[in-house]
Amino acid sequence: MSRHIEISVIVPVGNRFDATGSLVREYLKALSETGRAFELVYVLDGKHPDFGAELIRVADQDTRLRIIQLAKSFGETTALSAGIENTSGEIIVTLPAYYQIEASEIEKLIAEIDVCDLAICARWPRAAASRFEVFRRKAFHWLINSMTGSSFTDLGCGARAFKRIVAEEVPIYGDQQQFIPLLASRRGFRVRETQIRQSDRDKFDGRYGPKIYLRRFLDIFTVFFLVRFTKKPLRFFGMIGSITLLFGVAFLLYVVVQRLFFGVALADRPALLLSSLLVVLGLQIFALGLLGELIIFTHARELKEYTIDKIVN
Amino acid sequence: MDLSVVVPLYNEEDSVTPLYVAITNTLKKLGCESEIIFVDDGSHDRTFSVAERLAASDPKLRVVKFRRNYGQTPAMAAGIDLARGSTVVTMDGDLQNDPADIPNFIEKIEEGYDIVVGWRFDRQDKLISRKIPSRIANWLIGKVTGVPIKDNGCSLKAFRADVIKQVPLYSEMHRFIPAIASIAGPRVAEIKVRHHARQFGESKYGLSRIYKVLLDLLTIKTIAGFTSRPLKWFALLAVPALLLAVSMLVGSVVVTLYGTTPSLPMAGAGLFFGALGLMLLFNGVLAELINRTGDTQVTKLPLLTAVEITIASNVNAESQVTRITPE
Repeated sequence: MSRHIEISVIVPVGNRFDATGSLVREYLKALSETGRAFELVYVLDGKHPDFGAELIRVADQDTRLRIIQLAKSFGETTALSAGIENTSGEIIVTLPAYYQIEASEIEKLIAEIDVCDLAICARWPRAAASRFEVFRRKAFHWLINSMTGSSFTDLGCGARAFKRIVAEEVPIYGDQQQFIPLLASRRGFRVRETQIRQSDRDKFDGRYGPKIYLRRFLDIFTVFFLVRFTKKPLRFFGMIGSITLLFGVAFLLYVVVQRLFFGVALADRPALLLSSLLVVLGLQIFALGLLGELIIFTHARELKEYTIDKIVN
Repeated sequence: MDLSVVVPLYNEEDSVTPLYVAITNTLKKLGCESEIIFVDDGSHDRTFSVAERLAASDPKLRVVKFRRNYGQTPAMAAGIDLARGSTVVTMDGDLQNDPADIPNFIEKIEEGYDIVVGWRFDRQDKLISRKIPSRIANWLIGKVTGVPIKDNGCSLKAFRADVIKQVPLYSEMHRFIPAIASIAGPRVAEIKVRHHARQFGESKYGLSRIYKVLLDLLTIKTIAGFTSRPLKWFALLAVPALLLAVSMLVGSVVVTLYGTTPSLPMAGAGLFFGALGLMLLFNGVLAELINRTGDTQVTKLPLLTAVEITIASNVNAESQVTRITPE
């Protein structure tokens, strides 16, 4: 594209999207009002023939809308990366493909970039389908914040604005696009949450299947590990391993002492099985920690720990 | 360039200028080609702007600004990575080290030592919270790593750049540099340095780090033990597990044959330990793989300190020692 693009807006289209195309027009209108040179890129993650046709109709009238079609569904993170790779704007804005925030608030979000590197939304006032949903949301953020030492209230909002350098430096993979703010602030970027009006049509029935819960749990665990222990795996594995080992050894000693001094038979006691299992597990976890340390040690020079903001002279 | 002085700074706005003046005076006296690298570790005060102003009038002063606070070790690592001198001197930014000691370090490096460590023999710190824990830690570090250094915590150190640039430096490892570097077999010297009481600001660490130091120590010990043949190391760990497994299995057979009750739990426990032995062996294989594919070619580290000795044919001439510097 020949003209200079200031803002690249990327909309990954996964399972949940608004199929009518009215949102696309709202986005285009709101972005025009910012008065900046922008491009709106819809990344179709998987086949969405009806919505694709609708998008093409809009793109016919407005060249600022671009469409990228992925060959199959790869997940939101891949869709985002595909969008980032194929755009050129210094500021990148990601928006959800469904009604989540008021389109008119996008300008406010973009303006935040002047004072930080990554601006994220906190939908407020926030509608909630049920008390349980509110509780679940609070519990999720409390867990994340207390484990990583941050203070975010709405990581689930897909609308974010950031400088291109953030995308280049923050490693995202798997299902972690939710945690971009955490990983970015870990890399030393300034991250700010801004209150943004929620869309009236942000409808979500608030029901997740068990699969989602499991995936969230794994995500939290991964992020916890990445943020806290990347450079010191032994502190993590060592802690768990030594506790397991300690219990195992104490238990084992107990049954052995019973056998030696109190004449309780040892060979047919299930307690022997359990205590041995704990010892074995503890040692194995510890050994994994050592392997982790070895990986870090041999890669320490390429995994630079620090990020340099500026060098004078 | 001959010399790079690396100073990590964290919230030291008051110390920056006096420190800069002191270092510059020393370097002037030394007269060698040198540079100063200030690494601002994400300070919240005016440390960076003060240092930046100093750098504006002195091209020999480089100031590196971190995007956030990462800690002293990464700050030192960054300074060392950027250093262009053939000798690198590191020191604290709180004026407790005296730059006037630098020439003694250079002298030792020129004598052929690879690492020169400062010893604060007359330490100006609180006895209970600083000096005693540090005494114990140093004794322990010396025992465990086999590199007996009286004062690992002293930041004033000098390194031959070829060596220190190859030594992985991360997490909170800066106090273990001599121990990590011991893999490369460097010649280490320890010299007495002056130590001043804190003039500005608060001391930045206390008792809570003992626990972390202990874990780091274990890490260092394992890495140093791993380096040559990790498989052997893991095999050593696996032997007792396998022995235990065999004796438990035999025991269960004996009990089943001659005892009153069959002993399935004993057999099961034996199998567990057998599995552990095998797993440890496989871990060893994995460790070999990691060692071979890693960026830091651990096996090449000893080459950094190797020297070639040319025996003089003439009895009167001295034998020559030449450094072999790998690419």
